[in-house]
Formats: sequence, C-alpha cells, structure tokens
Amino acid sequence: MVAVARRILTELWHTRRSLVFWVLFPTLMLLLFGLIYADGQGTSRSFDYTAPGILIGAALFFSCLSGPITVLVGERERQTLKRILLSPLSPAAYFLGIVVAFLVIAAGQTAIVYGIAYAFGGRFHGSLFLGVLILLLSVTAYVGVGFYFGARFAKSTEEVNGPVAAIGVPLLVLGGTFFPPDMLPSYLFAATQLNPVFHMNEALKAVSATGAGWSSVTDHLGFLVVFALVGIVVGTRSYRRMLDRQSGS
Amino acid sequence: MSALLEVRDLEKSFGDARVLTGLDFAVASGEIYGLLGSNGAGKTTCINIICGLVTADGGAVRLDGRTLASRAPSTIGVVPQEISLYRHLTCVENLLFFASVYCVAKDGRRERAARCLEAVGLEDRADDLVATLSGGMHRRLNVAVGLVHEPLLLILDEPTVGLDVEARHQLWELIQSLRRAGTTVLLTTHYLEEAEALCARIGIMAGGQIAAEGSMTQLRALIPAAELAIVHADDPGAVKERADTLGFEHRSVGDAVTVWLPERESLERVANDFADLAVRSLSVRPVGLEQIYREVTRSAGASVGGQSETRPIAL
Repeated sequence: MVAVARRILTELWHTRRSLVFWVLFPTLMLLLFGLIYADGQGTSRSFDYTAPGILIGAALFFSCLSGPITVLVGERERQTLKRILLSPLSPAAYFLGIVVAFLVIAAGQTAIVYGIAYAFGGRFHGSLFLGVLILLLSVTAYVGVGFYFGARFAKSTEEVNGPVAAIGVPLLVLGGTFFPPDMLPSYLFAATQLNPVFHMNEALKAVSATGAGWSSVTDHLGFLVVFALVGIVVGTRSYRRMLDRQSGS
Repeated sequence: MSALLEVRDLEKSFGDARVLTGLDFAVASGEIYGLLGSNGAGKTTCINIICGLVTADGGAVRLDGRTLASRAPSTIGVVPQEISLYRHLTCVENLLFFASVYCVAKDGRRERAARCLEAVGLEDRADDLVATLSGGMHRRLNVAVGLVHEPLLLILDEPTVGLDVEARHQLWELIQSLRRAGTTVLLTTHYLEEAEALCARIGIMAGGQIAAEGSMTQLRALIPAAELAIVHADDPGAVKERADTLGFEHRSVGDAVTVWLPERESLERVANDFADLAVRSLSVRPVGLEQIYREVTRSAGASVGGQSETRPIAL
C-alpha cells in the first residue's frame, strides 16, 4: 500500500506538470470567486465561503477523481498491470495505496487553498477534526468513483477527460461549488440530494465557514460514509474485473 | 539435474478452440529452455497458466515440487514481451517499487536493486528516468525488474523483439550470464537463432503440444541430412526433378530449393550435380533450427490436417 502511494507521488514529482495544474486551477478559481462574491464589502466573508467549495469542487475533484483514472489508464498503457497482477499485492491494498497518495495531494491542496483564503481574511471556523474527516471521506469517495471509471470505461489517456467532463462537471454545478444550491429550481435541488459533491460542499462549508458542529452535518456525513464505502467496494470490484480481463487477454 | 518446472498433460480450450491438447515438458534447474511455436501455438496460454493468470482445464504444473496453488507468488519472475516499466520513475525507483510489491524485505531492497542494475549493466544509469533510456536499455531494465525478487524461475517472453542486432546480442550475453549465475529460464521467442544460441533444450510446439523436444544435437537428428544445399535457380521445378533423380529429399520456398544431402559433400561436387540448370546461386550449410522447426511444424500440421493425432517426435 505504502509502495503504491510512494510510487504515484514520486512519478508526479518527476513530471510535476499535473501538480502545477492541480495547484494553479483551484488558486485561480478561488481568487476569481472570492473576489466576485466580495461585492465591495471586504473579502473575509466571501473567502470564508468560497474556500471550502473551491477545495471540494475545483481542487479535490480534479486531482482525486481524474487522478486515479489517469493512474489506472497509465498502468494499462505501460503494461505494468501484468506485473502487478502477478505480484502478491491485493486489489484492496492497491486501492488504498491510491487513496493514500491522493490524500497527501489533498493535504497539499488544502494548505494552498486555505493559505490563499487566509491572506484575504478567510478563516476555518469549525472543528479541525471534523474538517479532516469530511476531507478524508471526500477523497475516498472521489477515488472510488475514479477507480470505477478508470477500470470500466477509460481505455486510453485520450478517454480520461470524457467521463470526468460528462458526469463530473454537472455534479459540480449541482453540488453548489460555484453558486449556492438554494439557487437551484426545487426539482434540481431535490435531485442533488443524491449528489456526493453536494454533501461534501454543504458539510465542509458548514464546518469551515460557520463553525457548525457534529449535529449540523450528521446527515451529510452519513451520506458520505455510505458513498465512500460504496466507492471502495465498487472501485475495488471494477479493478478486480479489469485484472481478470487483463489476465484473460 | 532435477526438474524445477514440470508441465504435465496440460489442456486448455477457449470456447471450441483447443489451444493446449496435452502439453508436456520439464525445465531442469539452472537450464535455459526454449519454447518455440508459431503465433497461436499456445505459448502465451502456457505461460499464463504457469503464472497462475489462467486456469488449465486439465493437467498439472509443479514448480520446485509444489503445485501452482501452493507456490508463493514470488517464485516466478516474468519479463513480458512489452516494456512494462514506469517511464517517469528512475531505474532504481522502478526496481525498488517492484521489490516492495513482491515483498522483498525492506532492508535488502536497495542492495538487491543495485545488484540487478549491475547484472544488466545499468548501474551508471540508476538515477536516470526510464523515459531517457534507449530501447536496448529498456529491455535490459525490463529483465532486471523480473529478477529483483530473485525468483526460482524467470520467464522471458520474446525478450529481444524489436531490438537492433547489437542490442540483441547484449541481451543474449545478459541471459547467458543469468544462466551462469544459476537462474532457470523459460524463454519464448520467434527468433530461431536466438533459441539456438541460448537454449540447452528446445521444445517446438504445434497443435497445442510439444511436437519435438531436445538439445540442438538431438533435434538435428530429426532431419536425415548431413548438410543442406540451398539452390536458387530460374527453374526450381528442374532442380527438384534433379534432386529426385539423385535420390535426395528436398523442400522449396519461392525459387529456393533446399536439398537434403545425406553425406557431407563438397560445394564443388554439389555444383556439378546442378551445373546445367541455370543455377543463380548455391550454398551448402549445416542443418539449422529453422529447417528443423519448419519440418516439425509441417509434419504436425499435416497430421492435424489429416485428422490424425499429433505425436511428439521421440528422441
């Protein structure tokens, strides 16, 4: 597990290009939306609210969802999957290794997003433990979904962006990343209750921007726990099926 | 020497296609065994079964006396035909990663990686990214990764495909050095001269089983010829007629007729036999693996075509 995580992080460090974009994109989005929502009344409150949404929607979404897809597609294209398949490494250990790698990346992105927000007066108001738990569940859920798409649908590097754009971006919009979800029509607001990004955003915004405690985010946490568990199961099973296909080829 | 790998009566079908129909061979400890066969002969299926990637319908595989189910995964090292390396890791990082997933003890990994790099002559490139290496270096590192956990059996699947002559010979030297160090190797290749140069014994697969097996000396005995005369002539038919008249067996491909000479004869004498037939070129050479391979696969194909059972040629 640790070997897989270290390998992914070392590869990213050697190439650095993905890391640059995973930092640049949320930085620009945070600055844009923080300044737009400031509305001439100082930036502290707008950055309080924008930072968690941008972290979930613009930072973690692109690193922790598309990242695992790229990792899996890369294994297939580089033919390294066969070597892994022959090794004693279990699919669960491989999955957890990817989760750990993207947790490290998520920690870096969190530091950058909140560092910038802090410079503009934004603050993290709630329980740090609760915030970390929400991020942990969010990363696991994203990696699970990424694993599923990477194992089932994306066959080459060119196909990575397809599922991310087609399915992921609408979830971001409906999830309240760029504007408050109460602006949605009632039927879309009802539909977005099944959207994990909505629960990630709502939970982190509540804790980070308003200092809400456990009782205010229990429903969101419950959804995220279930979704993360489903993500682990579905992602691991898809990966196992991909290995079976690979060994039969 | 005792058999490290024993493959007995292996059978495998995919749908209606019978790929392996009683494959039987053994690889002795410390030898290089070559498995030859045309595309679709079942070599890859055989390797996948040995590695545990595909389940056989019948038969048994034993490695070091253990069944596939009871052997440790790290007893086999595989070098796939494709370059399977992480291009954005350095050579040593690739080796350390695979040493780790193959459960090599943490305190021995660096030393093991360094030894593997030295074995393949890449110790000077240890900290270079794989993406910066040449094709030949990729192949050598590919072999090193298969060795990093010190497997009992190393399977090399077409290890030199796509390499230039110089790089191929470098890799041959590496494989020879592995044998000298006591590594047991199962090699599949399409390059017959490679099998001839490297392997102590060769198994030729046809119809899903071993059609012929043995050392080069034993395989040469399958063809009742001391030498081969290769005759290129404007009228190959006339050459064949002359060979028939002289009582020589012959085979032809295009305008080249290969005449089996039962005794070692001088080039001059052979030239005289065909002198009046507008011969463009004539050469005499010893019986090589190519001729043996063609003959074995031809007779196995004829048996299959004639609906008779293919039988291994006894040696």
